[in-house]
Amino acid sequence: MRSKRAVVKKFVNDQPVLLLFLFFILLMVVIKPSFVSIRNVKNILIDVSIYGVSALAMTIAIITGAFDLSLSANFAWAQIFFCFLLNAWGDSPGAILAALLVMLLSTMLVGVLNGLIVVFLRVHAFIATMATGIILKGFSLVFTKGNMIRTTNPFIREMGKGTFLGLSYLTYIFIAFVVLAYFVMTYTRYGRGLYATGGNMKAAELSGINVKFTRFSIFVILGFAAGISGAMFVCLMRAGSVLYGTDLALTCVAATVVGGTPLTGGRGSVLRTVVGILLIYVLYKGLAFLGLQGYYNTMIRGIVLLTVVSIDAFMTRGDRW
Amino acid sequence: MESKEKSTSKRKLVAFLREWGLIFAIVIITVVATVIRPAFLSGKNMLNILRAYSTIGIASMGMAYAVIGGGMDLSIGSTISLTAVVTMLIINNATVATVTPASAALLVLLVGILLGALIGAINGTILALVNGKLAESFIITYAMQIVIGAVAQAVVRGNFQAAQYRSGLFKEFGMGFTPVVFMIVVAIIMQFILVKTQFGRSLYFLGSSMQVAKMAGLKVKQVRFFAHLICGACAGLAGVIVVSRVGSASVLQGQNYELDALVCVAIGGTSLDGGSGSIARTVLGVMVVGFMMTALNILGVQSNAQLIVRGAVIVAAVALDVLNKSMKLREVAQ
Repeated sequence: MRSKRAVVKKFVNDQPVLLLFLFFILLMVVIKPSFVSIRNVKNILIDVSIYGVSALAMTIAIITGAFDLSLSANFAWAQIFFCFLLNAWGDSPGAILAALLVMLLSTMLVGVLNGLIVVFLRVHAFIATMATGIILKGFSLVFTKGNMIRTTNPFIREMGKGTFLGLSYLTYIFIAFVVLAYFVMTYTRYGRGLYATGGNMKAAELSGINVKFTRFSIFVILGFAAGISGAMFVCLMRAGSVLYGTDLALTCVAATVVGGTPLTGGRGSVLRTVVGILLIYVLYKGLAFLGLQGYYNTMIRGIVLLTVVSIDAFMTRGDRW
Repeated sequence: MESKEKSTSKRKLVAFLREWGLIFAIVIITVVATVIRPAFLSGKNMLNILRAYSTIGIASMGMAYAVIGGGMDLSIGSTISLTAVVTMLIINNATVATVTPASAALLVLLVGILLGALIGAINGTILALVNGKLAESFIITYAMQIVIGAVAQAVVRGNFQAAQYRSGLFKEFGMGFTPVVFMIVVAIIMQFILVKTQFGRSLYFLGSSMQVAKMAGLKVKQVRFFAHLICGACAGLAGVIVVSRVGSASVLQGQNYELDALVCVAIGGTSLDGGSGSIARTVLGVMVVGFMMTALNILGVQSNAQLIVRGAVIVAAVALDVLNKSMKLREVAQ
């Protein structure tokens, strides 16, 4: 009996976010049962999946002590360039694969640029990625002349609309990336090197980890994730625009912090971020479902971000002296 | 020996660029722009540039305080939008009601500054409580930008606010030399506070090392709070003046202001790591940016492409600063 109570207590201490998530779901079921209709759950999971891939990368970056504000601009560029390439190269499977690969290369190139500026020019990651984000946004606007680019590719359409066992294909892609990220972070030498680098860069360097390469690689991973998220988004919307996904970087940060990965680095887990982004989306979509649309919804998003980041920063305030 | 000499001369070049580069930049931009379009050098155009960049200048000086203290304020764009729409609502209602236009103008000036100061105070309170440095101030003020932007939209329900006034004291705020005078007065006050007061010296201290400042017995949290409060107040003032100048207000009024302010501060040679910089150089930075953007307009570079220039300029300015610092360190080591 006692041990059972101890188990429950441990679970509550370890997984407050998961409990909060379940609580929100229950609350929504009571207030508006249609919230948990299969259709709505499927749609929420699609949104979670698209941003989730980037959130995984952001979590890994924050664990390593890096940061990327250019993620939003890179995500928008990925959509634009992917649609552009699809339109240019046609509907054959080879062309789609080539378009995906070239687009991913371009987003990873942005990551390489970020990595060079942050790691080798030693500019603070926040400032560097904010600046490259601005440059990329300007470039995307020039590239599209501010217009939206559409694609009518049937395969892309099928990827966005198709389902397997009731869930969208996009959700399975997300699950695959979650498994991959978890495996890399937990069982590989590289993943442990990331934790070590984020925990104490000097100590990591002394213990033989190539800190420069580790930090550099993170930005390439972020670029890759932005590209994958962008491709998934194109599958859903069949269009790309600079205006889509401007909140991506900050939502990913919010998901990471809500999940329980502190911004100070060295600790955390990608699985926690999955719960974090689920919680955030249940909250956002729940509020929208209850009729809180437009700027009120934006306001709530901002307040959620402000609150979680402030609480996290308050908890770790002692580390900053 | 030779390599050492070489490195000193390189170091001298970087230091020289940082010291006099701004003046050179202004001269070069002016010469190039004047050759292409002689009207660039006319007094009317100069006044136009100064007037257009006076609000950015005021916002930049506030930003400089936040940056010197080792922080950052990305919420000033939304603060300007909010004060702009609130100002327009008050002024439009005041012209209808019985309040005299002159007192309404002074009222909005006060309300704008106080509203900005309030938002800055919220930023400052949070950052003081969490011992925030650059990273925290980045995310927290970014979140604040989202919140305040949404508040501004909620105030006017997303509508564009047109002016209903034709003349009066409020209109004067944005005409002729008035905005420039505002900027100069704010610059003098802020430079005085920064250099001559205990608070100013504490701000530099805080920016160089929060830990050392704390050990030296400075009221670290208090200094951080007031740095952000002043930053917000400057943004509020800029919001009021920009409405008067353009004669309308929308929730997009302050868009990209935080970016422009950051560019001006960085170009002005204020290290984004905190602990150094000055208001006078920030004003010089504003002039460079104003001249550069106007010259780009003359050359026919679109506003979208100008975004690229802004981003590149931030990277270049910060990289130059980092280079300068590492060279200084190496020199000390030798």
